[in-house]
Amino acid sequence: MGGPIASLHPLSRADGSASYKCPATGSNVLGSVNAPIELPGRRDALKPEDATIEVFVKPGTAPGGVGERHIEGILRGALGRIILGREKGYPRRGVVITLAVVGCDNIARGSSYLPILPALLHTSILALLSASVPLSMTFSATVLAVDSSGEIVCEPSSTDAAAAASLHVLAFTSQGHLLLNESEGRFDFDTWERVYERALAICHGTSALGSDGDVAMSENVDAQPLEGFVRDTVEDHIHREYAWKIDAA
Amino acid sequence: MNKEAALSVAERDFILDALREDVRLDGRSADQLRPLTLSFGEEYGHVKVQLGKTSLIVRISAEVAKPHDDRPFDGIFSIAMELTAMGSPAWENGRQGDFETYVTNVLDRVIRHSNALDTESLCVLKGVSCWTIRADVHITGYDGNLIDASCIGVMAGLQHFRRPDAVVKEGQVIVYGIDEKVPVPLNITHKPLSVTFHTFDEGKLVILDATRKEEQASEADVVIGLNNAGDVCYLSKFSGSPVDAMVFVTKTTVALEKVKELNGIIDKALQADLAKRAKGGLAEQARAENDRLIG
Amino acid sequence: MSSPLILLPGDEVPTDYLPSNGSAPLRLGPGLRLLSEAHPTPASTSKHVLTATQAGILSTDNKRNAISILSSSNRRYVPTPNDLVIAQVHHSSVDYFYCMITPQSPHAVLGQLSFEGATKKTRPMLQGGDLVYARVLSTGLGAGAEVEIACVNPATGKSEPGGLGPLKGGMVFDISTGFAARLIRASSAPSEQQEVAGLVVLDELGKKLEKVGGFEIAVGRNGKVWVDCSNSEDNAVRATVAIGRCLTAIDEHNLNPTDQRKLVTRILREMKIES
Repeated sequence: MGGPIASLHPLSRADGSASYKCPATGSNVLGSVNAPIELPGRRDALKPEDATIEVFVKPGTAPGGVGERHIEGILRGALGRIILGREKGYPRRGVVITLAVVGCDNIARGSSYLPILPALLHTSILALLSASVPLSMTFSATVLAVDSSGEIVCEPSSTDAAAAASLHVLAFTSQGHLLLNESEGRFDFDTWERVYERALAICHGTSALGSDGDVAMSENVDAQPLEGFVRDTVEDHIHREYAWKIDAA
Repeated sequence: MNKEAALSVAERDFILDALREDVRLDGRSADQLRPLTLSFGEEYGHVKVQLGKTSLIVRISAEVAKPHDDRPFDGIFSIAMELTAMGSPAWENGRQGDFETYVTNVLDRVIRHSNALDTESLCVLKGVSCWTIRADVHITGYDGNLIDASCIGVMAGLQHFRRPDAVVKEGQVIVYGIDEKVPVPLNITHKPLSVTFHTFDEGKLVILDATRKEEQASEADVVIGLNNAGDVCYLSKFSGSPVDAMVFVTKTTVALEKVKELNGIIDKALQADLAKRAKGGLAEQARAENDRLIG
Repeated sequence: MSSPLILLPGDEVPTDYLPSNGSAPLRLGPGLRLLSEAHPTPASTSKHVLTATQAGILSTDNKRNAISILSSSNRRYVPTPNDLVIAQVHHSSVDYFYCMITPQSPHAVLGQLSFEGATKKTRPMLQGGDLVYARVLSTGLGAGAEVEIACVNPATGKSEPGGLGPLKGGMVFDISTGFAARLIRASSAPSEQQEVAGLVVLDELGKKLEKVGGFEIAVGRNGKVWVDCSNSEDNAVRATVAIGRCLTAIDEHNLNPTDQRKLVTRILREMKIES
C-alpha cells in the first residue's frame, strides 16, 4: 500500500486545481477552485464583508443528491474556518470549490461519504493553495474505522469501511488543532480518544504526540505524516514553477 | 452568468483576418485536429480525453433496473453531462445553461439515437430486469469543441467498458461480481462520432475543431455526425448566419476522413490498454472464457 | 540570499529573512499578514509575528525594505494599485467606461477623461469590445469597493510611463499571471541586461523580427499580452501569430532560455517568416 499521490494545477481553465488519489481507500478526486469571482444573484450575501464559499461535490457515476449536499455542508464549514474571506479582493466575492469524484468504488445513494471525506478535504486544500486563496493555515485529514473487536483500521478500503462498527474522520490544522470531527456508528469515549491519538499521529507524526509512542512509531515507519505530504506537494510544485528564479539564484 | 466573457473587437477581427490568410492561432490548417490523447483508468469505462486544451473524463457505469413499460425488451442507456465551474469559471454549478442542453442534445442524437449501443442486448429478463448503462461526462477544461471531444470520450468509454455478467436461473436474476465471472463488453453496433465545423466571413471560410476563441469569433457552426462507413446520423446547423449547401456536401467528405482518423486513434488507445491489462493476465483469462462461451 | 524559502499559509516568517534595512518601515506585500503573538515568549522581544497567507516563495527587497510572497503563477489576477493591465471596455456611461479586467469579476471604472490630453471634446470614443492599456489607480476599501483604472498618470497628465491608452488593432493572447509579471520585468529592464526573469524570448523575437518590421507589445498583469505587427505589412498576421505561439508555449511548458531560443527559431520557420 503506497502513500497518496497528488498534483497541483492539473487543469487549464480553473484558477486553481488539484488531483488527489489515495490508494488505500481507493478514492480519486479532482478539484478546482475559482476565486475571487462574482456570484450573480448572491450579491447581497448575509455577510457582505466576507467572501461567500460555495462547495459543489459531483459524484462520478450518478446524479448528485442529498448525500452530496450534506457533505458539501461539512466541507464548507471546515474550509470556511481557514479561508480568510476578508482579505483584499474577496469580500462580496465567491470562492467556488468544485470537487468531482473521478474514480472510486461507487458510493450508493444514501450510504456514507465519510470514507472519501479526507480525499475531498485534501483536494480542496491543495486546490485552494494552487489558486492562492488567502488562508490562515493548512490542514490534513484522515479516516479511521473501528471494527467490532475494537481494532483501529487506518484508511479503510470500502469493504473494511462497510464492516466497521464506527467510522471517524478527523482533520487537524497545521498548528495541530482539531479542525473537523465527523463520526458515525457506535463507539464510546475511550474508543474516540484512541482514534484521536492515532489520527493525530497519522497527520502530524510522532512529534505532536507525547505518550503512546508505540502506535505512532509503527505508523511512522510505513508512511510520512500527512501534514508533510501536503507541504511536499506544494513545495514541489512551487519549485517547478519558479525553476527560472531558483536556478538563477 | 453561464456565458464566457465576450471577445474584444481586436481578437475578433484578427482571427478573421488571419483565417483569410489561412492562418490559425495555433498554427494549424483549417482541416487539422488538435492533438488528441486518450488514457484509461483502472476501472472499465473510465476514459480521459485531452483534445488540445479541452479535457474531460467519461465514466460508464452499469446497474440492473426495470425496463421501461413500453419497451420490455430494451435496456436503458443515458448520457449525463453537467457543466461545472471546473470546466470553465464562466459556468455556474448546479445551474443548467443553454449550452449544456445543446451539447447533451447533440450527444443524444449522435450516439444514443443512432443506436451505437445495442440496447436490446442489455435485456436480462423481459419486462422485469435489464441493464441501465450510464455515461457520465465530466468536463475538466473547456477550450472549444466540446461536442466532438465528448463524443470521442463516450464512444471510447462504451468500447472500453465491461459490465458484470448476469444470468437468469429459475426466474431469478443473478449478477456475478467482476472477480467471480469475466465481465462482458457492450454490444457496439457502429462507431459514430461528430465533427464540428465553424464558418467565418459569410460562410466562405470553414474550419474544424475550433478553439474557444475561434468559436466565439465564428458566425455559425455545423455539426456532422457519422460513422466509419460514412452513414450520416446527425446533421445540424442551429443558429448563426446562413451556410451554403455545398459546404455540407464538401465538409461531409472531410468529416468522414476525420472520423476514420479519430476512430483509429481510439482503437489504438484501446488496444494499448488491453495489452497493458493482459500483462496482468486478466485479458488472457477473458479471452479464454469468451472463446468457451462462443464455442 | 541562500536557497529560497517556501512558505505555506500559517508559517511564520523567520526573522533572519527580514530585510536588514533597519531605519525604513517594513512594507508587507501580498500573501503576508501581521499577527500579534498569542503566547509571547520572554525570549523574543517582538510581540508580533509575520505569517504567510498564501503558499509561495518569500521574496525580499532590501532597497524598498519590502517583503512579499510570490505565489502560484496560474492564479486569478487581483487588482493592485499601480499595476499595468489590459482592460476591455464593456459599456459606458456619461462619466465612465466600465471595463473588464478579468472575466467573471465586477467591472472596473475608467474615467472618460482619464486619457492624455483628454477634454470633453477630444476624449476617445470607445465602444464595447475596445481595449485599453491602463494602470490601476485604486482598488477601494472594504466590501463593494470599485476598482478604478486610468490611462494617464494623474501626477503628470501624460500617458507615460508605460505607453497607456487605447490599443488599436493587433491581437491579445492569454498568458498566466505569473508569466505576465515576468514579461513586464523582462521588457522594462535595460536591454544590455540579459536573461531578466529567465526570459530571452522578447530579445530573441526582437532580433529576428527586426527585418520584417518589428513589433509592438503591451503586457497586462491580468494575464493578457497585446501584440501588434502592423509595420510588417504582408507578414503582419503570421508574425503576430508566431509571437503569440512563442509566448503561450513558453508559459505553458516553463521553458528555460536555451529552449526558448530553439522554440523561437522553430516557430518562425513553421510560420514561414524569414529572419
